[in-house]
Amino acid sequence: MTDEPVSKAFDEVGREREADTFGMWVFLGTEAMLFGAVFVAYTILRLKYPEAFGGGSEKLSMWLGTLNTAILLTSSLAMAVAVESAKAHALPFARRMLWITALLGAAFVCVKGYEYFDDMQKGLLPLLGPFHYDGPDSAHAGLFFNIYLMMTGIHAVHLLIGISLVVYLALPIRIPPGRQPKRIESVGLYWHFVDIVWIFLFPLLYLVHP
Amino acid sequence: MTRRLVYAWLGLMLLLALTVGSSFIPLGVGNSVVNLAIAAAKAAIVLAVFMELRRGEPLLHLAAAAVGFWLLILFVLSWIALRGV
Repeated sequence: MTDEPVSKAFDEVGREREADTFGMWVFLGTEAMLFGAVFVAYTILRLKYPEAFGGGSEKLSMWLGTLNTAILLTSSLAMAVAVESAKAHALPFARRMLWITALLGAAFVCVKGYEYFDDMQKGLLPLLGPFHYDGPDSAHAGLFFNIYLMMTGIHAVHLLIGISLVVYLALPIRIPPGRQPKRIESVGLYWHFVDIVWIFLFPLLYLVHP
Repeated sequence: MTRRLVYAWLGLMLLLALTVGSSFIPLGVGNSVVNLAIAAAKAAIVLAVFMELRRGEPLLHLAAAAVGFWLLILFVLSWIALRGV
């Protein structure tokens, strides 16, 4: 039964799977363009004000950034195992792995939330409160913290959407059995994409050398 | 199968340790180059293993390559337009 295509548009399950995954990749392409534009803005500002970016980056907690990178990379492992189990029709195990993925995602958001709170207390987020900065090129350092907040903020929104989708798939809702593995696979691709965005954000924001 | 995923994860953690470790060695511009090279390697592992590009379905290779190509256009045109600004 699970080897029948879900949609009438497809004769066989292989073609349907390929079309589903292809659709997801096209969507990820649009997402890549969104983040690509933000990365270009970052690059322009960093090349123009290298000292402000170096000084600003030093004010962020490298260790919290490292911790969050480790959390997110591990969540991707859990997601990949969930996808593999779902394909092997081991859905109860896949659901457990999805819960782990969602919990790790939530842990990332908590660490990030704490970081924002801490940054704000120190007066490092000029968009959210008074700005106090005593490093080099204080005239332009606000730009670094603004783009830091924007980049990590857009990323966090993506992650929150990812967590919601993963939790939805992990819930024991009755979905026609043929559909569940494909849904988990598509959400998995999205999850890994959000992970890749962070892989680049981490060194660009936390490890800048003046 | 799962073992391959765990190996990929170990590789990612190793690369993370390398990035953080290298940031303590002052290399000037070299630090950024090392950081970006390591980030690209990590992304390649995620793409190949976790996102299953290594399974080799041509349509997906094409889609992923198109994403890379559009990004290249975005970056190169921005770079050309902003040279010397």
